[in-house]
Parts: sequence; C-alpha cells; structure tokens
Amino acid sequence: MTTTEHVIHFLCRKDEVPDNEAKRVLIADHPPLAVFNLSGAYYVTDDKCTHGEASLCEGEIDGVLVECPFHQGAFDIRTGKPAGAPCSMPLKTYEVIMEGDGVCIRSGK
Amino acid sequence: MSFSIAIDGTDETFDCRDGDILLRAGLRAGLGLPYECNVGACGTCKFELLAGEVETLRGDAPGLSERDRTKGRMLACQARPRSGCTVKLRLDDACRPASRPEAIPAVLREVSAVTHDIQEFCFVGPRPAVFLPGQYALLQLPGVDGARAYSMANLANASGEWRFQIRRVPRGAGTTALFEHMKPGDSVVIDGPYGLAYLRPDAQRDIVCIAGGSGLAPMLSIARGMAGNTAMSSARLHFFYGGRTPRDICGESMLRELPGFGERIAFHATVSSPEFGQTGMWHGHTGFVHELVEQTLDKMLAQYEFYLAGPPPMIEAAQKMLLGAHAVPAAQVHFDRYF
Repeated sequence: MTTTEHVIHFLCRKDEVPDNEAKRVLIADHPPLAVFNLSGAYYVTDDKCTHGEASLCEGEIDGVLVECPFHQGAFDIRTGKPAGAPCSMPLKTYEVIMEGDGVCIRSGK
Repeated sequence: MSFSIAIDGTDETFDCRDGDILLRAGLRAGLGLPYECNVGACGTCKFELLAGEVETLRGDAPGLSERDRTKGRMLACQARPRSGCTVKLRLDDACRPASRPEAIPAVLREVSAVTHDIQEFCFVGPRPAVFLPGQYALLQLPGVDGARAYSMANLANASGEWRFQIRRVPRGAGTTALFEHMKPGDSVVIDGPYGLAYLRPDAQRDIVCIAGGSGLAPMLSIARGMAGNTAMSSARLHFFYGGRTPRDICGESMLRELPGFGERIAFHATVSSPEFGQTGMWHGHTGFVHELVEQTLDKMLAQYEFYLAGPPPMIEAAQKMLLGAHAVPAAQVHFDRYF
C-alpha cells in the first residue's frame, strides 16, 4: 500500500496580511510565495510573475485580480489563471489550510 | 518637427519625430522601453499618459484588456505623439537595443519559393543591414495600413540585404500585397531591427531551435549566426521544425549549407496531420513539435538554450513543456510573443 506523507508548512499569521493586501513568504524547498487576503479569504500563489522577474506582492490587488507591477499583466488570485496581457502562463496556486491563526499550505513529500 | 517625451519619475527624455511611434522613438533614442511584438498584441509596452496628446493607431489592439482601457492605459507601439508628452512606464535594461532601430527605404530585389505557401523576399537598403540573429523588422508595405512584423532569415551584412521568409495568410492584407502585388524593383520602408529573441553567444549551452510555419526565418538566422560564431564552436544545435502536413516541412536544405551539418547540427521534422500528405508518403515523425523535442533530446532540458518561433499554439505548448514540466529557467527560453 502506498501512503502519502503530507507536510504542513506554516507561512504566516493571518493578521500579518492586511485586508486586500499580500505578503511575500520564503520557506524551504519552495519558490517565494505570495499570501493574499481577499476580505478574509486567504489564497497562496507563487510570488514571481510567469511573464517576468517581478514580485506580485508588489503589485496592485483589484478585486480578485493581482496586477503585476512590471507590465500590468494580471492573474486571478483564486485560480492562478492569466487575466491580462502580457501574462499567458498560469500562476501556480496552493491549497490553503488555516490552522488557528496561521495560514499554511500542504505539500506532498 | 519633433516632440519631447519625458518619462515620469526619471531624468530620461527623448525626441519623437512628428509622425513616429512612441515605442519606436524611445528605442531609436537607445532607451529600454519594454516591448515584444511591436504590433499591439503582446501587451508588454503598456504606459500611462500623464500629460500631452497621442493618437491611437489600433483602438481594438488585443494587448489591452477592458481593465487596462478603463484605467486609461495605452500601448506605446500603437501611440503616435501629437505634442510633447509625459509618460509613465518602467524602463527595462533587457529591452535596451543593441543597435538602434531606424526606418530606411528598401527595394525588392528577388522572390523565391521556400514551400507551397512560404516565399523568401529579399530587399536591399541603402546601407549595411545591421541586426542580431533572430530579430525582426517592421515593413511598411504600399497600400497596406499599419506595419507588419517579419523576421530576417539571414545575418547582418554590408550589402544591405534583408531576407524575410513569409508565410501567406489567406485574406491577409500584408501578405496579399507581398505575394500578389509587389514586383522586383518596388519600394517599401523597413524599420528595424527589433526583437529580444536574438542569439546569445555567451550562453555556454547546446542550442535548440523550435520552429513552425513562418517561424522558420528567425530560427534559420539563429542557426546561421551560431554556425559562424567562433565563440560557439563547441556548441551543438538541434533544429526542430513542425508542420501540419508533409509539404509544409522546410529548412533542411538551408541548414545543410552550414559548416558542421550532420556533425554538430541536426535537423528534426515532424508533421501533425500526415494523412494530408499530397506529395508521396511521409516516413518521418508524426505529432507535435514540442513532443518530438521531448523525445529526441538526451540531456536534461534545463541544460539547453531554447529559441522558439511559430504559431501561438506551438509556442504555448512548447513554453508549457519547457518551463512547466522540465523546469527550464525562463532566461534560457527566447521568443517574441505575437499574441
């Protein structure tokens, strides 16, 4: 029988990400991550834009979209789908787990 | 007459000749204005106009989303200044031109067939043709509104030759003018060079060119540039060409002329619809070109330098395969996005 071991990675406390803002988080064995707080709902994606070397945490959040600060391309924060040129490759998203006050992601190991 | 353009938040200003385009004028001044396609599609050259007046060429350019329009954003490649302006954009060193683009008159010298729907057009300008392997130019064709971007298949040369291999687009205004109306001796305006998907001779890696359709031209230029560059004499080149049917396959005869073909330069072709073969049986590979790349290369893909040119679905599939499944660093994958 195969068992899958999951590791829960703590990223930050909920109150470290103000409403409708994002926080960049570095953890081991992952690219830089972006934690978004959309009116109390938390989402985690890769922080680096799929078009260039920009940090999405420095971009503007507009509803459910985050806009890249370099060329104003956009992604849907909830799904990672590109939502504005020049972005055409989807952004990686992570399943979020809330552990008490902590925002966490699960990664298979 | 010319207008002075200031970039907000910087000390940079540049002159834009009356009638010229904002993006092109900035690049002519040697500034790194961000861009890829130059024709309104990719959305990389967005800017905000803080002061002054511009005329928009292509109002429905796909590079702008509804959100962009609501926020008053414009595309620098579609903006023709009508006064001095102050613009907000982010300069990017990677876009700073190695040789500054300029518009020159050129005469069509000869036309030759490459395949049933691709022809090579050779234009000659009044001075040496200066560009990097893999770059493109904008052609202003007689009777055609707006510029068309076509890649050069040859290398920079003192005799002023610009060779384009162009695939005929049914009902396309640009290619109809080229294929049906233009004759040797006719004049056009060539504005270039442009493009960021040029050969990187410093990358100490084997090279992979992935081409489809009229993506042949820039990939041939890359191959020719690599073959003639002594700094790259230890690199190998894998050249892949994907066509829909057997009669679309091309490029091998031109690669055969390069020193090292069969030794360090290899040609691989595949067709996605072999059943449409009209000129005999196809005994080669079938399937999509990005799949052939994956099957053929024997090292980890992250150990190669990739150059891509072709139709959008081919580029997207190759990009997904390289950057996604094989984690090739984006800095090793070069293409100009026309979509």
